[in-house]
Amino acid sequence: MSVPADPAAAPVPEGRLPRRAAILGGNRTPFARAGGRYAEASAQDLLVAAIDGLVARFGLAGEQLGEVVAGAVLKHSRDLNLTREAVLSTALSPRTPTYDVAQACGTGLEAAVLLANKIALGQVESGIAGGTDSASDAPIAVDDGLRRVLLALQRARTPQQRLAALSRFRPRQVVPATPRVTEPRTGLSMGEHAARTALQWHVSREDQDLLALESHRHLAEAYERGFFDDLLTPYLGLRRDDNLRPDTSLEKLAKLRPVFGRDEEGPATMTAGNSTPLTDGAAVVLLASDAWAAEHRLDVLAHLVDAQTAAVDHVRAGEGLLTAPVFAVPELLRRNGWTFDDLDLVEIHEAFASTVLATTAAWEDEEFCRTRLGLDGALGTIDRKKLNVVGSSLATGHPFAATGARILASTAKLLAERGGGRALISICAAGGQGIAALVEAP
Amino acid sequence: MAGPSTTPVRVLPRTPSLGRTYVRSLLAPRDGDALDLPRRSVEVRDVRADAGRLAAFARLCGFPLRAELPLPFPHLIGFGLQVDLLVREPFPFRLLGLVHVRQEFEQQRPLGADERLDVRVRATGLRPHRRGATVDLVTEVRPAGQDGEPVWRGLSRYLARGVTFPGTPAPAPAPLPAPEGPGALWRLPADLGRRFAGVSGDVNPLHLSALTAKALGFRRALAHGVWTASHSLAALGGPPPAAARFAVEFAAPVLLPSTVVHVVAERELAGRPGWSTAVRSRDGSRLHLTGRLEAL
Repeated sequence: MSVPADPAAAPVPEGRLPRRAAILGGNRTPFARAGGRYAEASAQDLLVAAIDGLVARFGLAGEQLGEVVAGAVLKHSRDLNLTREAVLSTALSPRTPTYDVAQACGTGLEAAVLLANKIALGQVESGIAGGTDSASDAPIAVDDGLRRVLLALQRARTPQQRLAALSRFRPRQVVPATPRVTEPRTGLSMGEHAARTALQWHVSREDQDLLALESHRHLAEAYERGFFDDLLTPYLGLRRDDNLRPDTSLEKLAKLRPVFGRDEEGPATMTAGNSTPLTDGAAVVLLASDAWAAEHRLDVLAHLVDAQTAAVDHVRAGEGLLTAPVFAVPELLRRNGWTFDDLDLVEIHEAFASTVLATTAAWEDEEFCRTRLGLDGALGTIDRKKLNVVGSSLATGHPFAATGARILASTAKLLAERGGGRALISICAAGGQGIAALVEAP
Repeated sequence: MAGPSTTPVRVLPRTPSLGRTYVRSLLAPRDGDALDLPRRSVEVRDVRADAGRLAAFARLCGFPLRAELPLPFPHLIGFGLQVDLLVREPFPFRLLGLVHVRQEFEQQRPLGADERLDVRVRATGLRPHRRGATVDLVTEVRPAGQDGEPVWRGLSRYLARGVTFPGTPAPAPAPLPAPEGPGALWRLPADLGRRFAGVSGDVNPLHLSALTAKALGFRRALAHGVWTASHSLAALGGPPPAAARFAVEFAAPVLLPSTVVHVVAERELAGRPGWSTAVRSRDGSRLHLTGRLEAL
């Protein structure tokens, strides 16, 4: 017998979790352009390397953590227990439970949010969250027609049934199916979607190139001052992200030919220089309760305050595929009573330079904010001096599921360096989804 | 005292190709009169693990591809030198027909996958055995250009059957403890030996096919002992202790294809963490390998 819900039950106070999960640190492999230094490494190898480095840095060998949560976007069907298999190859106690999550490019941050929520509820005291991806070691599947023939053959009991199954075989089916970065419901690549959004928001080529240049400059400066020394472990001979071009310039970026949006009515502005390349790498963060951190004599860099996901209708309503964070962020800020003025740092994942610029343009547009976001006026302007201050995906590269943990660890460290402050993280994802999170120094 | 620095060394320009060396071993059999070991060691300098070979070895043996070399990997670099020593130096036994009876891998610290290394092999410890005589081929690895204690050491003990060697065989050393109980099933494919030959360069016909193994007196191809040892270590899960020794003793060979059972037991030794492993036939009647991993 079911019990009717009690309408008088006290609602959960908005923006108030029982306790906040602490971010203690992070680790990642340097990111490598696909087909390069990590061509022989699997997504699982990369995740093992990222966790190994974290375990070494925080003295976690033999430790039984509450859980490890991670995922990969390009995933082999044999990797159903990717995170579990990775953990069994690390120095963590094999009694550490795990699970895999997937939310396209939001995977790494979503993993951290799930873990943080369990910590907030007291279900676990500590854990590792992150993601890994290898575009080099991507799964290749048999042609779907061939797969159906093979499955029918397996079910067949009589020679006639076997013959019927075999008669559906066509020679062209021997060509395997490689994964494509196209949206299943639109047939457009992510870049083609982003090009449409760029046109819609009148994002110029110059602004995109400038944002790409700043990403490379900021990342190069951060490496120079040793910012990543305790956020990264060298792997297979790589000590820095090999997509980083410290010597790039506006002139060099301006020479590149547009690769996306050439079929649109309007200028094609997106090039290989202001779009992220396919990349291999893994990143993880260590989260815990304050009590666990104190017990293990580890400093708290920051707390994960709250998070919000959103999705748009990119199929029927023609909303920008990568614009879901435009909707997630205002709701997240409202619930916590924060405004852009409260933020000291803003991290907007640079899937494409145009994505970042279209997102900020939407928040500055009074009519859009009134009609689409239900606000009284424009959400506000992001101060560029606070945006992606140690570089982002345009310079580091973007192993899809790893990006969230990369950004979260860097943001927490930046807040700890400042000795206080608040930060916003916003990540767009395939399928018209997005995730945003608020982080605050202790 | 004759330390490593006083031993004459022959430096090779690169790790030798094994296919050619095997042919040479077949064409130029030893006379077997002199039972002296070569006094020279052979060495390659300033080499590092080939990235593709390392990845293939890791995949085939079940190791993750780490920033550090899997504990057994330097043996693959040293193996070419072992064969060169056996074939080009005045070595008393023929290469083909030697039986690998014991293998040790020992590291003072993990070696980086991109570290430049000097690798040296020497022969030592010729002694009588109840079935012939055994010899130890010792591989020492140092960071390129550095003297002193090796950071990695391998010992491969080979048995030359039917050789008469003066002296009484020493009593067999206490065998490594073989853990009992249920274990993991390893389903080993028929081409495992060929695949490992592709990675290790050890094209010994015993491992390549049933036909070539028959020519040497075995019913089917044999799994390579170094693969079985490496897979046993990989099956332990996490990385070994930073300073560690993995010693294995080979009993009955593993015929391919076959399904064997691998058993692991955690066993502390003198207060330090340690693990014992054993590989047996599926019905438990034959012991193939026993191994012990210990922290140094």
